[in-house]
Amino acid sequence: MAIMEPIKTTPVVRRRGFLRVVVGFVGVIVSASNVLFKTYAWGQGGSSGLPLPDEPVEATLKRLFGNRPLSPGEGKLKLELPLIAEDGGNVAVTVESNLPVSGAAHVNHIYVISDKNRRPMIAKFSFTPESGRALISTSIRLATTTDVRAVAEMSDGTLYAVSRHVRVTISGCDLPPQS
Amino acid sequence: MAEVGRVSIRLPSSIKQGDVIRVRSLVIHPMELVQRDKQGSLIRKNYNFIHAVVVSFNGKEVMRVETTQAISQNPMFTFPLRVDGPGKLTVAFSDTTGKTYEGNAEVKLS
Repeated sequence: MAIMEPIKTTPVVRRRGFLRVVVGFVGVIVSASNVLFKTYAWGQGGSSGLPLPDEPVEATLKRLFGNRPLSPGEGKLKLELPLIAEDGGNVAVTVESNLPVSGAAHVNHIYVISDKNRRPMIAKFSFTPESGRALISTSIRLATTTDVRAVAEMSDGTLYAVSRHVRVTISGCDLPPQS
Repeated sequence: MAEVGRVSIRLPSSIKQGDVIRVRSLVIHPMELVQRDKQGSLIRKNYNFIHAVVVSFNGKEVMRVETTQAISQNPMFTFPLRVDGPGKLTVAFSDTTGKTYEGNAEVKLS
């Protein structure tokens, strides 16, 4: 017994100590990779294909434009959308602007944002003087009946926004859940 | 979907020097939507969708679009182009699998 005692206790202590170290280490790795992953996902702007976290539209506007105010853009921007979109999966949107794309104050970007999508930011169009004018159109997905905004960002940082309400009959973002 | 990545570009029938034309482009692409499990939480995986569209004219970038999954399947993009002379128009769509699909069109003056 005198010989058995130390043999029996030392491995238990070692195992406990070892487990503590391992658990601690795994914890550190998990938290570090979480932080790393998040920065990576934001930095890539979604180009990795991984789903980004849900976002309310206020957070999107803050992320894209900071605290800059959105000035009303009626007369400067024209946003064309159907009043009722029967298929939310394919809604034609056109943004036309009479603001110049070259010169002292010009349009740099036009954003299309849907208030009630899971990720409201839909697309960002960047112009150059070779574009000639600011005009885009594309087809988008809308999750539900929502307001859609078009925001023009000028070279001096001014933002002009217009919005339109669209009624969506069938959601363009719902897939049947996977088993 | 054997023809994923087919790009078609449409130009106006008559183009004059100095015109600002509307170019229509279309790409065949599934633009995968996020999927949820039965509990309603997002399934984490790499989804295949187009995240960037780059338009260049005679090798110079003239327009860039950052896109997300909120763009429809087989998306269509219309964009402007100021034509100062004839040249080659290229529209490149990059998706999240790392593939880039390119379409070309000759811009001729008439």
